[in-house]
Amino acid sequence: MIRKLPQWELTLVVLTIAAGAWSAYLSPYYLSIDQIADSTRQFVYPGILALGLTVVVILGEIDISVASTLAFGAVLFSKFSAFGVLIWVAAPLVVAACAALGGLNGVLVARLGLPSLAVTLGTMGAFRGLAFILGSEMGYTNFDDRYLFIGSEYAFGPVPASFVLFLAVAVGIGVLTHWTVFGRRCYAIGLNKEASWAAGIDVARLKIQAFALAGALAGLAALVWIGQYGSARGDNADGAILLVVTAVVLGGVDINGGRGGILGVVLALFLLGTMRNGMGLANVPGPIQTIVLGALLIVGVLRPVIVQGLARVRRLVLSRPAIQSD
Amino acid sequence: MTAKLSAPALRIVGLTKSFGASNALSDVSFDVGRGDVHALVGENGAGKSTLVKIITGILEPNAGRIELLGEPVRFATPVEARRAGVAAVYQDPKLFPHLDVAENISMGAAPVTAIGAVDRKAVVARARDSLARIGVGIDPHALIAELSVAELQFVEIARALTADLKLLILDEPTSSLTPAEAEKLFQIVHDLRDNGTSVIFISHRLEEVALIADAVTILRDGRHVLTRPAAELSQAEIVRTMVGRPLKGMFAERAKRKPGRELLRVDELTREGVFSNVSFSLRAGEIVGMAGLVGSGRSEIAQACFGLAPPTSGRVALDGVPVTPRSPKQMLGLGLAYLPEDRDGVGLIMPATIVSNITLPILRALARLGLIDEAAARRIATEAVETYRVRTTGVDQIVADLSGGNRQKVAFARWLSTRPKVLILDEPTHGVDVGSKAQIHEIIARLADDGLAILVISSDLPEVLGVSDRVLVISEGELVAELDPSAVNQETVMMAATRNVRDAAHAG
Amino acid sequence: MPVETEAPGEGDGTRRGLGQYALRFRVSGVAGFLVLLCVAFALLRPAFMTPGNLNAIISNAAILAIVAAAQAVVLITRNLDVSVGSIMGFSAYLTADFAARHPGVGLALLLMPLVIGGALGAINGLLVAYGRVSPLIATLGTLSIYRGLTYVYARGQEITSSRLPHWMNALPDMRFAGIPLLVLIAAALVCLLAAFLNFYALGRRMYAVGSNVSASAFFGLRTKRIVLFAYTLGGVLCGLAGFLYAARVGTVTVVLASGWELTSLAAAVIGGVSVAGGSGNVIGAALGAVVLATIDNGLVLLGIPEFWRMFVQGSAIVLAATADVIIAGQVRHSLRARRRLARP
Repeated sequence: MIRKLPQWELTLVVLTIAAGAWSAYLSPYYLSIDQIADSTRQFVYPGILALGLTVVVILGEIDISVASTLAFGAVLFSKFSAFGVLIWVAAPLVVAACAALGGLNGVLVARLGLPSLAVTLGTMGAFRGLAFILGSEMGYTNFDDRYLFIGSEYAFGPVPASFVLFLAVAVGIGVLTHWTVFGRRCYAIGLNKEASWAAGIDVARLKIQAFALAGALAGLAALVWIGQYGSARGDNADGAILLVVTAVVLGGVDINGGRGGILGVVLALFLLGTMRNGMGLANVPGPIQTIVLGALLIVGVLRPVIVQGLARVRRLVLSRPAIQSD
Repeated sequence: MTAKLSAPALRIVGLTKSFGASNALSDVSFDVGRGDVHALVGENGAGKSTLVKIITGILEPNAGRIELLGEPVRFATPVEARRAGVAAVYQDPKLFPHLDVAENISMGAAPVTAIGAVDRKAVVARARDSLARIGVGIDPHALIAELSVAELQFVEIARALTADLKLLILDEPTSSLTPAEAEKLFQIVHDLRDNGTSVIFISHRLEEVALIADAVTILRDGRHVLTRPAAELSQAEIVRTMVGRPLKGMFAERAKRKPGRELLRVDELTREGVFSNVSFSLRAGEIVGMAGLVGSGRSEIAQACFGLAPPTSGRVALDGVPVTPRSPKQMLGLGLAYLPEDRDGVGLIMPATIVSNITLPILRALARLGLIDEAAARRIATEAVETYRVRTTGVDQIVADLSGGNRQKVAFARWLSTRPKVLILDEPTHGVDVGSKAQIHEIIARLADDGLAILVISSDLPEVLGVSDRVLVISEGELVAELDPSAVNQETVMMAATRNVRDAAHAG
Repeated sequence: MPVETEAPGEGDGTRRGLGQYALRFRVSGVAGFLVLLCVAFALLRPAFMTPGNLNAIISNAAILAIVAAAQAVVLITRNLDVSVGSIMGFSAYLTADFAARHPGVGLALLLMPLVIGGALGAINGLLVAYGRVSPLIATLGTLSIYRGLTYVYARGQEITSSRLPHWMNALPDMRFAGIPLLVLIAAALVCLLAAFLNFYALGRRMYAVGSNVSASAFFGLRTKRIVLFAYTLGGVLCGLAGFLYAARVGTVTVVLASGWELTSLAAAVIGGVSVAGGSGNVIGAALGAVVLATIDNGLVLLGIPEFWRMFVQGSAIVLAATADVIIAGQVRHSLRARRRLARP
């Protein structure tokens, strides 16, 4: 679609390296392959959520209910586990159920024309509420070890299996958005809904599919969550939406739709992960990390303004006083 | 000081405005007399709305000056203009739907009581007063969202009256009104005139102009052509002057062929309130022109055929097969393509590249195993760029950076990539430079020779006559004439287009 | 062919009625729904209807009503604020901490939460109106920043009621003529706000901006300032609500009022305040708060676990938004259908 300059992505890479350097300075424990690899585990489930959210945002909509869908998925999974359902049966069912929830968002937005912010604000509560209702107060922790595979095992060497999963999903979604018909259409709709409709794109159907995809990925993220934390409760991933939205926005995806890509989001996740990791090792208190996250979110949205400002500065610096043209 | 007393309400001197390379207005000068109803007439693109925007302060002119009652003025915003007594009412009234009539009239300048609260009684009284002055019985407590289009315009006018109104500009006010409502409007205009307010009245309906105007100014291609008392001009003369261009002999050679089978048939197509009982057919190899005034419903008819906006009743058949147009996706799949009038807004995706614009409707066909074949896409785009001679740095160029003419060619390429059997073009050369215009006409001719059925909707009369095999004229949503371009001239077409079908309401 | 005309008034009655309902009488709809709820609960559990229980409901609703009103103020301008809980928490904590360190402080203490809340709200307003940041993103960011700052300030300490001024602890229990003081304060505030929004030019301009922001420029309205004002006013209200909430719960923790963003939005939306701006009023929002409190109370009496509350709130937002969209669609439809009607 649009060949956006990789400028922002490069900036993210530079910032990540800088964050890494700063983290190494802050703490002697940072610079170890094992440590860094292990630290990626924390960011797998938000990362998968962010990948799903990216597709929706590219379309020009928003979905803040993904974390709640994850909670629902986790609790549903725990129910299957309690009934002894085979993991190979339970997992796809959970993903499908979460996709259905996403599809519900999509139908409300695409067919009823409700603003996606209002809808997902509501479903954010409704889905999490469902998770609470379905689950128990204590939360479920009796997971069979096989269920916990994805979260705890290592793929090769120090690299966690979940991280590999994340990369695989990222590649998959990346291919989906950049090289498939579906992805191209999403970008088109995000840039200009009417023109896309006039060009023969079934806008409503695509929106429903995108929301359903976000839901499905939330279901996948729920599986990762279970594997990692071994517990399913209504408040799973409560508050994660901040990190997820920050990753998407910081990754250069335009909140109005039509611009940005998966690569940026992945890089943003690395940056956020590095910062979080470094701060954690340096014993920076959680609340301060939250502040930093909030500030990054706002900086992320102000990014176009910043980029424009930088461009103007660059022009001023580079230009020579010219003869006043007409 | 006597000069000021006898100064015209509005004097425009040497007004010029250009947008990039095109001149919207060139050295326009004329006067609007005090207490006059002054009609401003001209074809689409003649510069009328640009002129109004400059007068009311939305745009700044490149050159020239404006005098209001003898005083030179230059408004930076519509609010400033309004304060000075100049107000404009447009076709789409800018009001607040959630608030009531009285509030809308006073918003921004509401009277307050001693404790600083809005003096509701005074607001309602002011509204009643203004509405009474124009003789309209709208309930000041009614919500804007509940009013009809006519009532919205009356509220806008009432709003304009609250300031010390010296000049009121009405832009195509009757285009959405019923005859009775239009009558009401004329009454208001007359009353304003009798009270010393000058009115500039922009309209395409020449019989209305004859009815209420004291003076007429005709603009053409951004230039002032003449200003005369209305009594001195006949409708025919106005039409002639509006149109006044010689027919250019620069239209493409057409292979003399008999048109083939019927590819599109439309029967009694109706959309309530927009167009009614339209029936026509298009045959393979034919170019049919559709002429009519802006707002006569031509685009809506085409959009109904394309599935953009469903008709209320009527039948459409594509290549003999009856269809119910429901969506562009459906109609494109069946072989009908429509190039929208709003090319930049709906016909193209401006921030995207040439290749993505051209290949958007055919993505499915370009995919192998679900993945887009980039090479094939670029091939198609490159071919199109060559075929249509688009001036560009490459298929990766952003469409917004192209000139109007080249953008239009990209739009063509996009719709043609779907290999339609029927092609509807809505204002295909609007905002296109002369050179590209000729090229586009060439493209249209070649497409017809290849067997497409083409409908060209155009407000450019020479174009309509030069390009078409036959011409349909739409007026007020109805098909009023079918003309042979070789047998008629521009005036005939214009007369048909301005014919008010409801002549009964305007006896003299 | 003559243009068809319809006899005036024919078929108009019902459509016009829907339009009027949509924009004017939504509040009566909520009130009606509230009555229905009460009747339903009363039938299911007679204990619902005791004065003690009803008193508890409106006491619970009081503080939420203030926050819902704050949310409504912002919603009316076609924006939203999801940081309300964090504003409440931050203002409450700082004020409580100050009070704990300065025993014997009088009513002047009340200025603190108002100023702090106003400042936090103003930051939101600056980001949205002048920084042109999307309201969701801006307030999502400040939600965490403000909450984080609260954590940093508190250093893990919570402030027990014993360290708070005596009058502050007594506040929730005070009554006048049998009605709790908190309820009176809330009612008074909501009425004042309603008066402001209905009768003062600035209030009307807030509706105008939410109704049609492009027309606002045409009318010479200072859109940015109006939005900034809305957020600031909302912040002030949240500050006060936070203080009252702290007085009510006694122990002021760092997580005070987390989660109130969803609840306040639910209350406002149920009360007829449209997410699209321009319509609804604070009285509706306050009634929405009462509705939520009633549902909560009823659920408890019926023995339904508290978990349902989140589900109910979320669904209420979706249902209310759907209802408003459907009604708005009806209004538009009726408008279009009347385009060509002749009128006397």
